[in-house]
Amino acid sequence: MSSESLNTGAMPDTLSYGEALRLAMRDALACRPDTIIMGQGVDDHKGTFGTTLGLAGEFGADRVFDTPLAEEGMTGIAIGAALNGLYPIMTHIRADFVLLAMNQIVNLAAKYRYMFGGCFEVPMMIRMVVGRSWGQGAQHSQSPQSLFAHIPGLIVVTPSSPRAILSTYAHAVRHVRNPILCIEHRLMYGLDFHMDEEMPADPLTSRRIRRGRDLTIVATSIMTLEAQRAARHLADFGIEAEIIDLHCVSHPDHDLIMDSVRRTGRLLVADTSWLPYGTAAEICRIVAERDPSALKAPVATLGMAPASCPTAKSLEDVFYPSLRDLVDRAARLVRGGNHGIPLPDERSMADVYKRFKGPF
Amino acid sequence: MAFTDSEGKSDDDSKVSFESMMYDALKIRLVEEKIIEIYHSDRIQSPVHLSIGQEHVAVGVCAALRRDDPLFGTYRSHAFYLAKGGDLKRMFAELYGKATGGAKGKAGSMHLSAPEVGFMGSSAVVASNIPHAVGAALAARRRGTGQIAVAVFGDGATEEGVFHESINFAALHRLPVLFLCENNGYAVHSPLAARQAYRIGTLAAAYGVPTHSLERGHDMMGIRDLTAATAARVRAGGGPEFLEIHTCRFREHVGPGTDFDAGYRDDAAMLAWQATDPLTVHRDLVDRMTPALLAEIEAAMAFADDSPWPGPEELLTDVL
Ligand SMILES: Cc1ncc(C[n+]2csc(CCOP(=O)(O)OP(=O)(O)O)c2C)c(N)n1
Repeated sequence: MSSESLNTGAMPDTLSYGEALRLAMRDALACRPDTIIMGQGVDDHKGTFGTTLGLAGEFGADRVFDTPLAEEGMTGIAIGAALNGLYPIMTHIRADFVLLAMNQIVNLAAKYRYMFGGCFEVPMMIRMVVGRSWGQGAQHSQSPQSLFAHIPGLIVVTPSSPRAILSTYAHAVRHVRNPILCIEHRLMYGLDFHMDEEMPADPLTSRRIRRGRDLTIVATSIMTLEAQRAARHLADFGIEAEIIDLHCVSHPDHDLIMDSVRRTGRLLVADTSWLPYGTAAEICRIVAERDPSALKAPVATLGMAPASCPTAKSLEDVFYPSLRDLVDRAARLVRGGNHGIPLPDERSMADVYKRFKGPF
Repeated sequence: MAFTDSEGKSDDDSKVSFESMMYDALKIRLVEEKIIEIYHSDRIQSPVHLSIGQEHVAVGVCAALRRDDPLFGTYRSHAFYLAKGGDLKRMFAELYGKATGGAKGKAGSMHLSAPEVGFMGSSAVVASNIPHAVGAALAARRRGTGQIAVAVFGDGATEEGVFHESINFAALHRLPVLFLCENNGYAVHSPLAARQAYRIGTLAAAYGVPTHSLERGHDMMGIRDLTAATAARVRAGGGPEFLEIHTCRFREHVGPGTDFDAGYRDDAAMLAWQATDPLTVHRDLVDRMTPALLAEIEAAMAFADDSPWPGPEELLTDVL
């Protein structure tokens, strides 16, 4: 997809994640008259962390509107609107709140096409933001990609860059006739990124974002950025990590992952959700079923600690895997326990992202 | 033609006639009686929630709707599927799990749909597609289609939170939605008194939504006229309205049997309902119409019998 096909004007060299979301929302409204954006506070002065700012004024209050606090009902209303010819985009300022709409998403949106034998389609987008840091706590921090990707009929993406956002959202609005769930990460909203990244023509897949011979890191969402930081550190000590941004968690590119693991022989999966029955487990399943002999070492997985998210910073910093953990696990995979590679002296990833503005 | 119903009301020519509605109601009754007759043969491949006793609501309401008005139903939707104009052959094929069914055998009795006549599918999760009618109404208004959307649900569904979320939004935005509650007094075996601290007829008023309650759910002309008047206001932009129609399910909640002897329902009330059933009262008309309808039903069953099963290639078709 070229940037001309987006109704966003000329592309700058760098762009923030949040601004990319706003451009994607603007494009969605501009490219088809039947798009509506509905969500709590979409038309207020904060505009969903800036991503819907000004859009009600530009496109009309009947196309970009605030909703009651009724996650299940509003999701059902979006489904009904999709069934009768609109393209609804729903927003949730925290992914945790989407759990109230599980019934509509899992029992209805995901099943309309199949259960009625192809008579209906439900083209719609549900955006949700994963919170992290400063005491977001147990109910404002969950990353539900594994829950949703379990369900046939749903498309789930965890975009990790502005290019991924722009191409994926533009593609979804124009070509996808199924419900797509976009899991965005709050810590990335303020980060600037270089815009030179290549995206595949069909962005609903995974992509390699770094080449390396020693191990394969498969990552989701912000863990893709962490993997890149870890890879830069490892490279100073002679370890070259290959990184695959899983991106479309529901429909990962099996061949891309398998090809990479065959070359490197080592797999580390870094996900933003919990490990049991989750995204990391699924990537291991793919490799175990396709060709476990490609592995020279046991797989390694990193995700949130198996607890609810605590608020105290001392606990939160160990609840999430750190850059240290990532470097250590990667180095162990390649060189064993006595790898001797110094670990970066960084305990809190959230602090880094708050200070660091990029460009990434 | 002019006709007089059991309450002695006369009809006029501009409306769907009483005789025509009798035909539609009898068709539904005979279809379901046929389902009961063959259920033991296992040709039908899903649970069945029969509408017998409640057909008149579906027929009366649909007589006052436009074909393209989207209507969302429940697992108990044989009546609304047929009353809205759904094809009988495809219905039997769907019940039999055949490739020629409306959903190629993937839906069965609980998920009938016929989008070509505005029957937008039926959900087996109580109350779950009430908001879909509201969303369809939102789309109808935005696209200027002139449709009104109809949410059909039972008395039990009003207990679910999503019902309230839906009616609030519909009222807030004055959307063209008709909320239609078929109040048969029971959710499975639980009576209203065991479940509700409110009265259904007063619920919608909290949202400023006009409510019309009709006690005589066997009065098809009354239902038709009430629906027509209500639909006209809703279509004209007057905002959503709520119809509560009392009725009686003559059969068990799910399955082909009766359960009056199970002890959870009041026999006398049941007998009173049966005494007002036009399909019993108008015996002559029923006798006159039955042979042609039975022939149609037999043909539909034969079509379903002769149809192929969906092949394995269908298993992963239409997931995305
Ligand atoms: C969410 C949900 N809870 C429970 C059930 C089980 N259930 C199926 S039908 C039914 C009764 C619903 O009663 P009502 O809405 O009055 O409709 P009726 O069956 O009388 O037509 C129940 C509880 C269900 N299908 N969905």
